Amino acid sequence: MDFILEGFFQAFDLLASGNAEAYSAIWATVKVSSYSIGCSLLIGIPLGFFLGYFDFRGKKPLRTVVDTLMALPTVFIGLLVYAFVTQRGPLGNFGLLFTLPGIAIGQTILALPIVIGLSATAVESMDEKLRIAIMSMGANRRQLFISSLWEARHGLLAGAIAAYGRVMTEVGISMMVGGNIKWHTRTITTAIALETNKGQFGLGVALGLVLLAIAFCVNISVSFLRRRV
Amino acid sequence: MAPSIYEIRSLEHSYGDKTVVTIEHLAVQPGSILGVIGPNGSGKSSLLRLLGLIERPTRGKILFNGRKVEPFSDEARFLITLLPQEPFLMKRSVFNNVSYGLKLRGNGKDNTARVSEALAWVGLSSREFARRPWYALSGGEAQRVALAARLALKPKVLLLDEPTASVDAASAQLIKEAALRARQQWGATLIVASHDWQWLYEICDEILHLFKGRIFGTGRETIIFGPWQKFGREKWGKILSDKQQLQTPAPPNQEAAAVINVLSVSEDGAATSEEDIVLSGTVSRLSLEGKTGQLFATVLVGDLPFTVGLTLQQKQAQSIFPGKVIFIHYSLDRIKWI
Repeated sequence: MDFILEGFFQAFDLLASGNAEAYSAIWATVKVSSYSIGCSLLIGIPLGFFLGYFDFRGKKPLRTVVDTLMALPTVFIGLLVYAFVTQRGPLGNFGLLFTLPGIAIGQTILALPIVIGLSATAVESMDEKLRIAIMSMGANRRQLFISSLWEARHGLLAGAIAAYGRVMTEVGISMMVGGNIKWHTRTITTAIALETNKGQFGLGVALGLVLLAIAFCVNISVSFLRRRV
Repeated sequence: MAPSIYEIRSLEHSYGDKTVVTIEHLAVQPGSILGVIGPNGSGKSSLLRLLGLIERPTRGKILFNGRKVEPFSDEARFLITLLPQEPFLMKRSVFNNVSYGLKLRGNGKDNTARVSEALAWVGLSSREFARRPWYALSGGEAQRVALAARLALKPKVLLLDEPTASVDAASAQLIKEAALRARQQWGATLIVASHDWQWLYEICDEILHLFKGRIFGTGRETIIFGPWQKFGREKWGKILSDKQQLQTPAPPNQEAAAVINVLSVSEDGAATSEEDIVLSGTVSRLSLEGKTGQLFATVLVGDLPFTVGLTLQQKQAQSIFPGKVIFIHYSLDRIKWI
């Protein structure tokens, strides 16, 4: 058990001394997860709104598909993205293999069903009276969309946090598409996996603590935001 | 006569297989107050949602100032506003709820004076209420805030769907006064659906009686639902709760509803013709029609209310008053079936 405790002390030491390898992984994680969550929110919220707001033929099967995709295994996404961006794949010319944008594509695919599904749930749970209230005040279609989203903001935030948590903590995509290249595509989670294999618990625990700290900061900011709005 | 602000032509609205509104023609004059009465499920709210451009009619059209309009029509959406039956406030402060419609219209800068004025109209102090969040209001306050949000827009048409149904007497009075202000101050057209027909008769220029989505009569009629019994060889009708026999012609079917227009009331119950059917009842209420000054008596026969206009002599004699037992007269050949 001592080595775990040692790991904690080593973690603080690494972070306090500004260990370049640890900070490189932290930076890569923040960067790639920001790209992917940004893209998935941008695409997912309008699609989730459409799915939750409108009634159309095939809505229920589509909803089942989205809900199923929320449980997509990260290694499977990694495999698919790898197959597409590898030199022989259809997107091979873009040079995305072993790059942060490559990982971001995979993580966007991971986060997208979560954002769509939870946004649709948030929009579906809105009261029908809200639509009447907004329209009765003279809103046009765009204003109705924006005001409805604003009213569903707490549910949308919950979806965004869930997606961010999934993206931050995944290993499969980062490992397979990013290749875990030191100083380049090594993220916190792939670094933890590697350092644990090497028996370097200190760095692993340090990075794990950083991951928790980021999650904590995001949640604190979101709850502050919720209280404000 | 001024051109109609609203005109409905061959309107039909359905939810699935159920048709809820069928109106062949209706015209509403600008600046008038139109009352809509009818039992629950008669289509009042659906009609108001159609006029408020919340829903698109299944068939037919609605003209506003002579132009066909539908949900999101630019020529009408800033001029018409609907206060739904149940108040719904958005998840924001009272100030932001009241100023929401103004912002939609591009008046985003300083709405403080307009919001304070609208809140004052519904009896709420801006100082006390403007910063309150939506969840810190009572039902009556929420309804008044919702009305203030509509009044702040100074709409040309204000549609009120049972505005006083779920509030206490004090809030109801404030809501009624504030709604009338819209007509007095900027000549708004008011269309009000309510069960408070006494209020409607006081304020309205015209009243529509809706039943099963169709307009019939002026609301003075009494609707009596089946099933129907046969009395003897030719007579039909039903036994009322006070054991009196209410006679009708033969109904078209057991589910048909009879619409009875009471012809007159008398204190002695003497029939004036052979077709005259007389029933005794108790006066439950007297009401004055604002537009004509005519006095109406509501007479409870068994547990059925009948409304009938009093003659000038009866009005002057002041011999009919609540609690008095009198007689209503109606004629079989004037009963309609719906």
